[in-house]
Amino acid sequence: MTSIRKKLLLTLIGAMSLVLLIGAWATYGAAREEANSIFDYHLEQIALAVRDQDFNGRTGALAGDERLEFVLRIWDRNGLSIYYSRPHGELPDVARLGFSTERTASGAWRIYAVQHRGQTIAVAQPMSVRARIAAAAALHTLTPFVVLLPLAALLIWIVVGRELRPLTGLATSVARRTPDALDPIAESGVPDEALPLVRALNDLLIRLHTALKTQRDFIADAAHELRTPLTALQLQAQVIERANDADSRRAAIGDLRAGLERATHLVAQLLTLARAEPGAALPAPDAVDLPRLCRQSVIDHAALADARHIDLGLADGPADLAVTGHADALRTLLDNLVANAVRYTPSGGHVDVRCGSGNTGAWLEVTDNGPGILPAERERVFDRFYRRAGQSASGSGLGLAIVQAIARQHDAHVTLDDAPGGGLRARVVFRKPG
Amino acid sequence: MRLLVVEDDAMIGNSLRNGLRQDGYTVDWVSDGTAAELATAATAYDAILLDLGLPGRSGLELLARWRARQNPVPVLIITARDSVADRVLGLDTGADDYLVKPFDLDELSARLRALLRRRAGRATPVIENGPLTLDPASHEVRLDGNEISLSAREFGILHALMEAPGVPLSRSQLEERLYGWQEEIGSNAVEVHIHALRRKLGSDWIRNVRGVGYMVPRQP
Repeated sequence: MTSIRKKLLLTLIGAMSLVLLIGAWATYGAAREEANSIFDYHLEQIALAVRDQDFNGRTGALAGDERLEFVLRIWDRNGLSIYYSRPHGELPDVARLGFSTERTASGAWRIYAVQHRGQTIAVAQPMSVRARIAAAAALHTLTPFVVLLPLAALLIWIVVGRELRPLTGLATSVARRTPDALDPIAESGVPDEALPLVRALNDLLIRLHTALKTQRDFIADAAHELRTPLTALQLQAQVIERANDADSRRAAIGDLRAGLERATHLVAQLLTLARAEPGAALPAPDAVDLPRLCRQSVIDHAALADARHIDLGLADGPADLAVTGHADALRTLLDNLVANAVRYTPSGGHVDVRCGSGNTGAWLEVTDNGPGILPAERERVFDRFYRRAGQSASGSGLGLAIVQAIARQHDAHVTLDDAPGGGLRARVVFRKPG
Repeated sequence: MRLLVVEDDAMIGNSLRNGLRQDGYTVDWVSDGTAAELATAATAYDAILLDLGLPGRSGLELLARWRARQNPVPVLIITARDSVADRVLGLDTGADDYLVKPFDLDELSARLRALLRRRAGRATPVIENGPLTLDPASHEVRLDGNEISLSAREFGILHALMEAPGVPLSRSQLEERLYGWQEEIGSNAVEVHIHALRRKLGSDWIRNVRGVGYMVPRQP
């Protein structure tokens, strides 16, 4: 059972009933005590009252009245019973003087015996009478409360319900939240007990809003950016349709191929970026061999660099260096840096790939002797789809955004600055483990 | 008809140039605002296709500048910005039409023809001058209902002359309309095409105004 209202009702009513029962028990005890002392007194008084009577030959005077609970018995000095108000009774024969309690087959009896001029007078009363009177007293005390208990339950039900109403309001206002309207829940009017819940919810709402906005922006950006290659594809296809000679058709088909390649590349880069965004599921990290990573990237870009007459090579560095991370992601990171360097370095230039480690930790580095990036632009080039003025927009505009996202996944940071020989130096520094 | 394409994406720019050339236009293509400024200062274009998302100077800035200088050239914006606010801003800045990427080349051609038609003060798509008619969309030229077959250059010259019957155009004006930047112009290329036109239409249709240029006489 998880209803606070029901739980409170049952607990409170249970507690009240328990208290009442204890009270009744105490009342019963007290009433019994009282009855004992009163009836003992009566026993004594009766005994004393009959002490001076002469019972010779007049037995049976008091017998016969069934309502009478007291039993009176008198013995003469020889131990002969000379009076017995209730001969059928179970009163024990031997009486001790003073008060005593005797157990018989018909229950416990309270007896008072006194001796006077050789006669023994005993007055007895069943103990059950006293218990009955005490129980009646206890019941009397209990009755009004038992009658009032349903009323108390009703009141508890109503009051608890009213006090819980802010929770219902809270639920309504949470239910009203949609992905489009994630404004925080107002804290005014919320009971203190529910305030931590509301604050935690608001915190969640804010984070959710940010995450949704990031996603939405990403999709909007992506859709917007896809228009350019799609426009090119459409135009290229129509130019083929309209071409009226074989040569121009061949040229137009070549253009269309290049357009398809570009669109494919953009989609692949979008996918890579989406996978590198925070929150993406990742396999368990592994040790990644950085020198091997560098060598592989140089091998992969050798043909492209050769075609552009760029001297791409591996610079000297340690033969053994590893970081903990995701090999595929780091390869994508390095490939993007190398591809950028090869793309933006003019023909005849050179691009160096190297790795190493310093005080701050291991690093990967790609340097070129191309035009570099102005200091003012070095932050903005990491933005998705940022295009630098005067650059032909042949890339996807996502390369450095991908580099940045993957670096963040690895707790590494990317810096762009001037290479020693002019040009750009892109460096990824991994934080030292521990 | 000479057009300027201002588009920073190499593939789109190249395809637009090729596609519009197929329509018989002479097309110059620049990929940034500075080059566009230089081009419009040097050449009188019949229409400009303008991308808004240019590196450096934005397309809207260029447009505002042309209009501030009272340049009446028809401008057709081609852009990926598709919001109503963007369209309104583009048109209110002085654009004559607005096309959202990706678009159809045939639609672009049709819109261009409409712009050029309006600029010439015509509402009908076919240019008529007495028994001589020219259809810019189908490139059909008819004289007394008979189709006359013309080369692309011949069509271009006749089209330019028929836009304003009775108004002579100089040789250099015709050259400017006919040849893009990279194209070699022979010293008597225009004369060669005029000669061919006269042969096909009859010499009365292309008049030589001595010292000024050529014109198509206005027919009643």
